[in-house]
Amino acid sequence: MKFLIRFVTRNAAGGTDHRDRIIEAPIITIGRATDQMLHLQDKRARLQHAQLEDRNGKVHITTSALAGVDVNGRSQRDARLVSGDVVEVGANILRVIDAPPGADFALTFELNPEFAREELATEWNAVGTGTIGKRKLSWILVAVVLLLTLVGPGVSMLSPDISSMARHSDFLPDDSWWLAGPLHSAHSSISGDCRSCHVNAFERVPDAACTECHKVSRHVSGDVNTVLGERRCASCHLEHNEPPQLVKQHQGLCADCHQNLPGNVALENAGDFLRDHPAFKVSLLRPRPGPEGTSEWGVEHLLLSEARTADRSNLKFDHAAHLDRAGIITPDGRRVLECAECHQPQPGGARMRPISMNDHCAGCHSLNFDPDDPRRTVPHGDPEGVMQTLVEYYSARLLGDEPEAGEQRVRRPGRALTRADRDRAAAEARVKAMTVATDLFERRVCANCHEVTRTANRVLPWHVEPVKLTERFFPHANFTHAAHDTASNECDSCHGASTSESSSDVLIPAIETCRDCHGSAVASRNSAAQTPSTCIMCHSFHFEAKGIYP
Amino acid sequence: MHESILAFRKRRYLWLALLVSVVSIAAYWIDDPQEPANGGTVLGYALGTAGALLIVWLAWFGVRKRRYASTMGTVQGWLSAHVYLGLALVLVVLLHTGFQFGYNVHTAAFALMMLVVVSGLFGVYVYLKYPQRLSENRGGVNRSELIDQIEDVDTRSRRIARQLPAEFQELVSSGISRLQFGNSMWARLRARDLSQVLLKRGNDYAVVANPGQEAALDWLADQQSRCRDPAVAALIGELSGLLRNKRRLLKPLIEDFRMQAMLEIWLFVHVPLTAGLLVALLSHILAVFVYW
Repeated sequence: MKFLIRFVTRNAAGGTDHRDRIIEAPIITIGRATDQMLHLQDKRARLQHAQLEDRNGKVHITTSALAGVDVNGRSQRDARLVSGDVVEVGANILRVIDAPPGADFALTFELNPEFAREELATEWNAVGTGTIGKRKLSWILVAVVLLLTLVGPGVSMLSPDISSMARHSDFLPDDSWWLAGPLHSAHSSISGDCRSCHVNAFERVPDAACTECHKVSRHVSGDVNTVLGERRCASCHLEHNEPPQLVKQHQGLCADCHQNLPGNVALENAGDFLRDHPAFKVSLLRPRPGPEGTSEWGVEHLLLSEARTADRSNLKFDHAAHLDRAGIITPDGRRVLECAECHQPQPGGARMRPISMNDHCAGCHSLNFDPDDPRRTVPHGDPEGVMQTLVEYYSARLLGDEPEAGEQRVRRPGRALTRADRDRAAAEARVKAMTVATDLFERRVCANCHEVTRTANRVLPWHVEPVKLTERFFPHANFTHAAHDTASNECDSCHGASTSESSSDVLIPAIETCRDCHGSAVASRNSAAQTPSTCIMCHSFHFEAKGIYP
Repeated sequence: MHESILAFRKRRYLWLALLVSVVSIAAYWIDDPQEPANGGTVLGYALGTAGALLIVWLAWFGVRKRRYASTMGTVQGWLSAHVYLGLALVLVVLLHTGFQFGYNVHTAAFALMMLVVVSGLFGVYVYLKYPQRLSENRGGVNRSELIDQIEDVDTRSRRIARQLPAEFQELVSSGISRLQFGNSMWARLRARDLSQVLLKRGNDYAVVANPGQEAALDWLADQQSRCRDPAVAALIGELSGLLRNKRRLLKPLIEDFRMQAMLEIWLFVHVPLTAGLLVALLSHILAVFVYW
């Protein structure tokens, strides 16, 4: 189809000029883009605004614009054009005219002079393009954050009064907001006074702040770190951590030095409980003769493996016999003894209370001496007292002062005691007492449990070796029974007492027994049953060993 | 060819951010401090320093993007790095904390940082999604073209109204001047047509809400139904057609304003929170070393 397009322009004289262009094509594109056949120089038009289409000789105008295209004042997406129709696109006016000879369809194209921007009244800036400033918001937030996080806590740092007031208020910022973590409950005595430890701003906590309350001995003496060089208290002791802990729980704390000690140090290296720990040594009490026939106790440190039968407490005791599963004879009849009947924990449960004759033995081991008078006993732990008791008892009996004892009376009926009677009775009683004492000391009672030796002493010819039980075999370790669940774990599982027939047996578990449950500090080296165990689980750093005799 | 900021230069800053992350995680994994992991160990100080420098550098983006004369990288490159390293920052700082949190200025600074990062992520999302949605919504034209089309309709409406009684001219000119979507960011996000129009009812004029030109169209329909003169009725019909047209054009325009607001609103969170974060960071560092 041949389209004729007549461009109309107004000339200076007020008339019109025109020029024609004939385009032969099925479609005429109209739009602002430069490749359009009919180029509209108006930004209200779209790049491809509309097109003229030949549909079987009839011409339609179509558009995809939302607003449609204005045909005879009506907005349309698709309209058939006939002579006289007017199409408006922005300021452009297209009028369909009768096609002159040589064309199938014709239109004029001109600009509408009525379109003046002044008429367009909508103020778009007032319709929705306004904003508020980000800068203003930023300054507000800067001020708020500055007040809450810096100025508030900073001011309350200036004086304890302000600090206390701020801390007691629900909304004022105070210097506790600067806390990086909770204060350990052990330090509650400083009442939250940061300056107790943080003496000067921007300076690390000085050791003097710690030693003001704490006394330290080993490894540190006075103001001088003897071993630790440049390290500070806070190198190992930390506050404000989570979980709260006052001592670093790290193997390197000890192992950094102790796994490779210099040659002039008498200690063995220790780097890891599982792999690099010296063999256990036990501290055993050792009796030794003191001045004038007395006994003293010394301490000997022996390898546990070589000291299995080295206990020298001077007590004869057979654990196996006492723990006989068939039971033993007691005043209450035959029954089975339990460990806990004698071995009772101290308050706190760390160690066991000392064993004593009165509390733990006397119930069965009666100190009676005369079958006719079984309630009479000799005192324990006092050999002179034993002799005295026996002499007095038998004297009284011979003199008739002992109503319960029977027939061996010196006094004849109806006659007063003469001095000779008394001397004779005393001599007789001494002989009797010596006979009984010999039986007690050497055979029946004392010698059951004690080492008794004969001496040249004519009055009391026996020496009973003093007894002292070792209460702490590992004075350098902080073992506590309480942490080892002794309620459900058999004592025997570590101590094996039920097969020990001699009190010379050292019933202390070897390191292998500990390692059943305690492994390396490095968790990956451990079996499933082993808990990672650092040095300070058992050992103390600053404190001297406890329980070393004398 | 347009290149997304995320794909900038073969994602070089993604790789940089991944490198920073991997190095941080590896260091944290290997490090065996003698205390629970926290900001005060050697690695803690290192990660904290890295995090603080990153925060300052990320915030510097706000300065760099205004330095049009700067030749230190392109702004596009800076933005790409800003996004990726901003994400790596979360990891670096998280490892710096040793996962110890509490009610204090330190955790407050962390929380502020997280809010900045999350708002920034929202920004990345809208910057990647909304330009296309904006364009689709407007049917390929830009906003000023859309406005021009509406102004076109307005001009035609005025022309027709001049041939009708005065109340029609009032209707048209008040409908044009009282067009309103609200000026605040919030109103723009709500995308409501708050327009009003002056209508003659009986002998009086009344200002009534005119969302979507609804009131004006109803009034015109009413007038048309009462009109005896077919020529006048035809003019009223033409006017109605133009207003329906305007309604059709206003819908994408309001949506355009809404999406434009979405493109900007996150910055109203991101920028002020960044300012707050810089102060909180300063407080955090001072608080740590005042009570060293």
